[in-house]
Formats: sequence, C-alpha cells, structure tokens
Amino acid sequence: MRAKTRVILGVVAACGLGLVFVQVRSVYAHHAFGAEFDPNRPVLLKGPVTRVEWINPHTWIHLETTKADGKKEIWMVEGGTPNSLLRRGLKRDSIQPGQAIIVDGYQAKDRSNRANGRDITLPGGQKFFMGSSGTGAPYDAPGKDERK
Amino acid sequence: MTLAMVATVWGAEIPRTPDGKPDLSGTYDIATLTPLTRPASLGERQSLTDAEAKVLADQAKAVAAATNKASDPNRKAPPTGGDGSEGPAGNVGGYNSLWVDIGEGAFKVDGKWRTSIVIDPSNGRMPPVTDAARKQRAAQAKVSRPNRGDAFWITEGISPGPYDDPEMRPTAERCLLSFGSGGGPPMLPVMYNNLKQLVLTKDTLVIVNEMVHDARVVRINGEHEPPEIRRWLGDSIGRWEGDTLVVDTTNFNDNPAIGASRNLHVVERFRRIDAKSLLYGFTVEDPTVWTKPWSGEILWPATEQRIFEYACHEGNYSFGGILKGARLLEAEAEKKVKK
Repeated sequence: MRAKTRVILGVVAACGLGLVFVQVRSVYAHHAFGAEFDPNRPVLLKGPVTRVEWINPHTWIHLETTKADGKKEIWMVEGGTPNSLLRRGLKRDSIQPGQAIIVDGYQAKDRSNRANGRDITLPGGQKFFMGSSGTGAPYDAPGKDERK
Repeated sequence: MTLAMVATVWGAEIPRTPDGKPDLSGTYDIATLTPLTRPASLGERQSLTDAEAKVLADQAKAVAAATNKASDPNRKAPPTGGDGSEGPAGNVGGYNSLWVDIGEGAFKVDGKWRTSIVIDPSNGRMPPVTDAARKQRAAQAKVSRPNRGDAFWITEGISPGPYDDPEMRPTAERCLLSFGSGGGPPMLPVMYNNLKQLVLTKDTLVIVNEMVHDARVVRINGEHEPPEIRRWLGDSIGRWEGDTLVVDTTNFNDNPAIGASRNLHVVERFRRIDAKSLLYGFTVEDPTVWTKPWSGEILWPATEQRIFEYACHEGNYSFGGILKGARLLEAEAEKKVKK
C-alpha cells in the first residue's frame, strides 16, 4: 500500500476532470514520518507478533524477527491511531500474538529497532488490516452515501 | 419525543432546547473530500455537477479497493534513499489507508457540491499573505525540508537547527494541539479523527474535538478575557443572532492553527439547517499574516459514531525518537565537517 498522499494523487489522476482535489490537510499528520525514519535504512521484517500497544497517538505492533545467524530481535512498527481501528470494528485483541506478519518500511533515525508500518501484511501478502468504511463492523457507521 | 414536539411548535425541523434555541448538541463527522482551498484549475467554479461529484466519490472508493489488494509476499525492503513519497509520508512512506479517514465525497450546501471550504475570496483561496509573513514562511521553509536522512543544518551551518530545542518542534508532534486546524478555530477537517461533539446549555457551548482531545468552552453572552490572558485555542465567547450562534475568538498564544499569529481573530457561525446537519461558517482575520480577512463554510453532518479518547501523551515514542535521531545524525555530520 502506498502513502495516502499518493493515494489522493491517484484519485486526481484517475478523475480526468481537472479536479485537483489534493487535500491541503494531507500534508499534516500527528508528526511527519520523515522526521522520525531514515530513508537510507530500509528494512524488511518478518516474524510473529509479540505484543500490540493499543495507544495514542500511534499504535505500535511488536514482532520477533530472526536474523541470518539465527539471532532473534524484537522490532516495533508504528501505525496510526487506534481510534480508526476501533471505528472499523477492530479491538486490541483482534491482533493476536503469534500471528506471522511481513512489514516493509524504514528504520528510525535513532537506530533503535523501530520502523514505520509502511505495509503490514500476512505471510501471503494479504493486508493485515484493510481500510474501508461502511463495513457494518460494530463501531462502524454507514458510509456517507448510505446515510438515511 | 420532547424535541420532536418542540420542533413542531416552532414549525421548523430542527431540534430545539427547552428555551427555544436551536439545539446544536450532537456528534458530527466533518470529514470531506472537498479541500480547504479550491484547486486553481477550477478558477471561480464554486460547485461540481452531480456527475462530477459521483466520479470523485467513485474514484475514492476505487482507490480504497486498490490499496486493499494483496502485496507481493516476496517483496524486498523499500529502496535505499527513500521511496519518493511526499508530504507527511516524508520519503519513507506514510499511513496505510485504514488509518486514514478523509471522507467519501464532497459536501453539499444549498443543493450544490462545493469545490472548496473557502468561499471568500470568490476564487476559493486564501488572500495573499503580508510581506512579513512571506519572509517568515521562507525562513521556515529553509529548515523544513524533505527527509534525506542527514543533518543538513550542521553541514550548511544553519543555526538554530530544526531539532535544537523540543519547543521548536510543531505543536502536533508535541501532542499540544491537533495537526492541521482540527481543534481550530476555525475547525477544519484533518486526516483522521474528524469527530466533533457539541454540548449546548443556556450559557455554554462545549466543543470536544476527537483529535488530541481538544475541548473548547464557549461562554455565551460572556466577555473576553483581558488581552494578557492567552490560550492555545483562544478565548471564545458566543451570542445568538436569531437561530445562529456566533462565536468570537481572540486572545490566542503565539502558535494558533492555520499558520496565523497571536493577532488572530476568528468569528464562527453555527447554524442547524436540519435535524441531521449543521452549517459551520467562519471568518478569519489576522492582519499580521493575511492582507485581508477570508471566510469559509462546511457542512457538519451528524453521526451515530462515538468519539474515542485520544490521549496523545500516552505513548508519544515518536518525539523522543525524532530528537535522539537528530543527535545521531548531527554527530555523523560533525565528523564529516571535521574531515
């Protein structure tokens, strides 16, 4: 999955109406990931989830990776606010320890074992989470065009 | 039932309080694909046709569906030097779409799909900034650069550098305010957590913003604090003009939202237009930053969704990591400079 700014640009390109609806607000986030992660340190992480920190401002998913020499490492992967997940019907225990995941991202500039959750998938490549609305999930309100 | 009866008595299909005022209380989801400022390509066009609005909404759905497709399970790590992503994604990739909630379509006012939230000036864009503001923004841009993973401020001798002092970092990064202008005023849509809860009593309007849990308390028929009392979200007083609650906000500190100065003055207008929505209008005046006032309007649809707590200081690991990362990059840059 690509960055959301790219997604919005995609909408624009596909529209063909000259509706350059690039959101001004898309340049804002809680913090710019660019300040935290190092573009010169790409990582590919694979392994089981060990812990989920269901906290604000960002969710952190911990996983255990195994290096080529067999050494185990714990990494933390940064996601967004859990509020969005709650609204889509997910809860803290929806993500179980032991679940194998793949993450590609960039390591933190502070060189700790942290990375951004650029793309988090199951081992088969399926999205670990999927973004949508109006899914009928417990806390998910209908999509706007479904509003009565 | 009480509300329905009162509405009938008044002959208007809006909920009313026991003393007959429009009841603004409720939760609203203000996410929209209509941008704050109109794309230049649309010129003076204030609205989209139904067909265009449908294309926009359909494309947003299509993009969401595309981004939910599986990734290559045998993919490699992303490219060294960055993935080229821009904005908050900062060359390292940003949020997956599941974390983001920017709405599913444009919003409609008086039967027209709006092309921008800004309605005055008529081109839908903010008026020009003052010379002083332009200079300040240029200086800021010099230190706010795309992420290359180096301490350019050391190699280029820029002092103070952008990470020298925690208090130089953006207020959102420090968990002090919502990013963008979510908490406002003016309160504008942001990337996620766009819910607002309003509670109206006879003498107070409380506005809870989900993002960063900002709350504003508006004193109806109150008077402003003396000018030396400054607040992050300003000091808000309200008055009724017919069925519209007009909220006047001044007394900001040095860092209000939307790039304004401490001289910011915002007038907001809250008007229930039916049982399911509220029309939120605002005028922004700040002679230090803009050459003239500007105004906007956005529909706030009521929602059955709930506001969840956003306790930003709960686990703001990012901030420590950002500052520590800057120290490591500085140490490396200093070595290079010495060589």
